[in-house]
Amino acid sequence: MLIELKNVNKTYNNGQPLHVLKGINLGIDKGEFVSIMGASGSGKSTLLNILGILDNYDMGEYYIDGRLIKGLTERQAADYRNHMIGFIFQSFNLIGFKTAVENVELPLFYQGVPRARRHQMAMEYLDRLGLADWAKHYPNEMSGGQKQRVAIARALITDPKIILADEPTGALDSKTSEEVMQLLGQLNREAGVTIIVVTHESGVANCTDKIVHIKDGIIGQIEDNREHRASVFGTSTIMK
Amino acid sequence: MRDVLTEIWESIRRNKLRTCLTGFAVSWGIFMLIVLLGAGNGLMNAFMRGGEDIATNTMQVGGGRTSKPYDGLKEGRRIWLDERDVQLTGSEVFADHIDQVISSVSTSATVSYGRKHFSGSIEGNFPARQEMDKIEILYGRFLNDKDIKDSRKVVVLPEDRAETLLGNEVRDSGARFPGVAPSVRSGKQVNVQDMLGKYVRIGDFSYRVVGIAKANQESNSNTVYAPYTTIRTIYGKGQEIDDITFTFHGLDSEAENEAFEEQFRATMNVRHRAAPDDRRALWIWNRFTQNLQMNRGRNLLSTALWVIGLLTLLGGIVGVSNIMLITVKERTHEFGIRKAIGASPWGIMKLILAESVTITAFFGYVGMLLGMLACMVLDKTVGQSSVSIMDEQIAMFVNPTVGLDVALEATLVLIIAGSLAGLFPARKASRVRPIEALRAE
Repeated sequence: MLIELKNVNKTYNNGQPLHVLKGINLGIDKGEFVSIMGASGSGKSTLLNILGILDNYDMGEYYIDGRLIKGLTERQAADYRNHMIGFIFQSFNLIGFKTAVENVELPLFYQGVPRARRHQMAMEYLDRLGLADWAKHYPNEMSGGQKQRVAIARALITDPKIILADEPTGALDSKTSEEVMQLLGQLNREAGVTIIVVTHESGVANCTDKIVHIKDGIIGQIEDNREHRASVFGTSTIMK
Repeated sequence: MRDVLTEIWESIRRNKLRTCLTGFAVSWGIFMLIVLLGAGNGLMNAFMRGGEDIATNTMQVGGGRTSKPYDGLKEGRRIWLDERDVQLTGSEVFADHIDQVISSVSTSATVSYGRKHFSGSIEGNFPARQEMDKIEILYGRFLNDKDIKDSRKVVVLPEDRAETLLGNEVRDSGARFPGVAPSVRSGKQVNVQDMLGKYVRIGDFSYRVVGIAKANQESNSNTVYAPYTTIRTIYGKGQEIDDITFTFHGLDSEAENEAFEEQFRATMNVRHRAAPDDRRALWIWNRFTQNLQMNRGRNLLSTALWVIGLLTLLGGIVGVSNIMLITVKERTHEFGIRKAIGASPWGIMKLILAESVTITAFFGYVGMLLGMLACMVLDKTVGQSSVSIMDEQIAMFVNPTVGLDVALEATLVLIIAGSLAGLFPARKASRVRPIEALRAE
């Protein structure tokens, strides 16, 4: 198991205590393409934050590749995020005053990779995603799809164990959404990248091989979706 | 390092105007600090000029007027020093501290050479005077023991007096500045060395010029020196002398000096039938304690100026801190992204601290350069003028500039100030939690 969650609990204590995750047990293998699906308020974002070591949990255990992720200092957490996790966000979260290639380089900068080496690597990844010509452009000069591909390149460049995508198509139109999901699927199949997508759209979830339903802080049904027939709106489109 | 600088440049470039406005306050603070210190230095230099040329372990004693009735005598009696005072000073009574004792007699006379002449004081003195007053001989020599023994008629002329005799009677105020060459002050080129070996007339006798001393009005060395024995014989001074000067040792603190002076005064006073504690009967000029007091005054002034300067700078620092807080607020989302992809808290903190130090140091240096420029302007204008008080030319400012040490100290201050200014904003930035920052759109 690459990822293992054992009875993970999380309560928010903002005035009224809010028990968001009520004992999550989940295992994800290397090379899987999984989506976590749930309505808003189901706890899926909290789960994603815990998976991404952006937030801590109160009870239970969380292992990445056999390593217990608990009680980390900020520095350790930053280091683990840097080396083990690649993030893809709904709003892309590129740094506006840096060019595409500089954005892609950034995780390597925090690993201490020398300038020339990381520039070369960033160019390679941008090339793989068909954006080599856009390397010198700033995010506000690019379309949503292009921005998300830059973000994907940034997530991939450290060769992380997991890619966490938080509503990766949330800000994109249906055509671009489909392209992005296909790209993720392709990365999963061809490069063997483990990808976890958090979404509330069934069409997006349908693109993945396994759908984990979360409701009221508990894991419900885990659907095998290798046939990609889960979407109620048909198999070939992402319904917006 | 280059990466950090690039990041800072990117950040500053986006906020040119506000960075410059904030920087101006820092520049102003450092500018004021440098100008204040420069002016303070100028003031102290003018005050202390010549002081550093004198051996500090000497005391000079002269006769005064009694201020208390004693031993049946009324107050207001004039005290004259004589040769027996010299012997007493040099005797075993004070042997613990006093090393060498010399005395001097002086008279005023007209010195002439050809058609040129001047009036001034002629001092009968000993060879040891050169060491005590740090008289610098430019050409020839100072008095020697043989001059004293044979009562030779020789003189040592100060440079500017020699010049006068060679034909430069009109002297401008520029002559007060030792750094300015004689040829610059006077239109005519004269070589004071020509006076060596020449005979000048003082009163009814001719004296051979054996040395030219460097002019230094501050230490009163514009007097003409002749052998003690010669002057005493010719001007019939008898036993009377003008002052006693002696070197001492083993008095390291002000209290020790004070105690010694009390003891010395009491002994001498009694010999002249004056009250032992009468401070007016004899005047004692202790160059050591005077130097101590001057140094203390100098340190006090400089401390006060630093405090004022630093307080002015404080305004600038608060400005920088403020602007960095705004920057952190604006960049919260960006810091969230950076943290999510692996920036450590220190990685973020470094960014803000470096930016703060860079802004402070850069604008501080601009201010420092301008301040030094202002000091130079001050030096060239006010520094070259002097005020005439009681026929004495007094310079108000001498070399009102700051040294390299102040520049280095100011650099240190800037770096510390920049770090302090950035500290709170940087801590704030480093505590940004990525999930909250990512939410902040």
